[in-house]
Amino acid sequence: MYEKLEKYLEEISHYLVIQEGKEEIISEIRSHILEKAEQEHGETSESALEKVIAAYGNPRQVAEKYIDNVQIIAPSFKKYLLRYTAIIFALHFGLTLAALLFRTSMVVFPFFYIPKMDSFQSLSYIPMILVFDIGLVGIILYFVTQSRKDIKLPWPKFKVNWEKIAARRQSKSKMIPFILMLIGYGLLIWAYLRFHTLFFMSLDFQNPESLLNPLASKWYSLALLALLGIGILAYAIKFFATSEWINLLMNILQLIIIGIVINKPIENPFVEFPYFNLQTTGNWIIAIVAVLIAIDFLKSLIVIGKSALAD
Amino acid sequence: MKTDISSFETEMNRGFLQVLVLVLLERDMYGYSMVKLLEKKDYALEENTLYPLLRRLENKDLVKSKWDVSKDRPRKFYVITEEGRTVRSQLLKIWQKQIEILNYLLKEFKNV
Repeated sequence: MYEKLEKYLEEISHYLVIQEGKEEIISEIRSHILEKAEQEHGETSESALEKVIAAYGNPRQVAEKYIDNVQIIAPSFKKYLLRYTAIIFALHFGLTLAALLFRTSMVVFPFFYIPKMDSFQSLSYIPMILVFDIGLVGIILYFVTQSRKDIKLPWPKFKVNWEKIAARRQSKSKMIPFILMLIGYGLLIWAYLRFHTLFFMSLDFQNPESLLNPLASKWYSLALLALLGIGILAYAIKFFATSEWINLLMNILQLIIIGIVINKPIENPFVEFPYFNLQTTGNWIIAIVAVLIAIDFLKSLIVIGKSALAD
Repeated sequence: MKTDISSFETEMNRGFLQVLVLVLLERDMYGYSMVKLLEKKDYALEENTLYPLLRRLENKDLVKSKWDVSKDRPRKFYVITEEGRTVRSQLLKIWQKQIEILNYLLKEFKNV
């Protein structure tokens, strides 16, 4: 029994991932090494075998030479692993943030399930979704590779054409609505500073009554000012350069503000009102505003996606 | 920076070794005997490359093998098949063509 030789062959066998003929391969290598030791060193002693084994090569490399070069992901698809993972991860990450912000769970059938989490849990959840997304894209690319078809994977060109953006500006005729907006916004700020609310029960400025309690008045008014302020800022930017990206960014910021409003509920924000339930009406108004912004957001996303694919 | 020639050599050898083995196996031979024969002609054939190559050729029915257990040590002998001969003659034609074009170009561009 040649201990070192058998150990060496065992190692080769370990790395030899083939369906059949493994034993025969090992027998052939054994026969070769023994004969070489005998012919070139005159004996099959352990030291002679050691030299022959060393010359034969590293067990893993020896084994790999028998394994056909089976591609898991074709080289031409490799770059898509990172690209597609980046897109899915961005989406997944965004949904996780939204789930955290709105304190809810989310299901995007059949791929994602985002549980209801606190901030700490979501910190450990984010690396997990990255691993999941790489795996998901990897599996898809694996099947695409194995299909051996000439599939052209789509990839939009997300190149921002700055010249085109700079060339497209808001027409000067929009200056008048813009000035009116600024005046209106100024008035709202003045009203807030003067009455500490923007939600009036009646327009009697001598004796203003708020629909909300003082704490709710403050926060909801500031939220409204922020929503409108972002809109006006985006409008102003468009006088210099127009791009759907500006709309998209504006919508994201506005949705975040609405998310914060929903996420930080104030107990009994409304004052007593005799005619109808203000709380329900308030919830409906917030929901409608959120949906309108979300629609605008999707519209911008579609326009960007379409032009990126068309380039 | 000096370019490492070994990777280029490996690339060149890949096709060449197939032809070489198909020529060698006109008569029954086993792995070690093939290595030794070539060694006499100062050509080093890597043993750990030879056996996987023989296995691939056998899987494609270009060579066939038989274990000889009559001696004290079993040896696996290989020999070319009819299919192997057909492929070999085609490969040799390609090789001849390659030699011709290379010789022509070397003559044409003498400073190479």
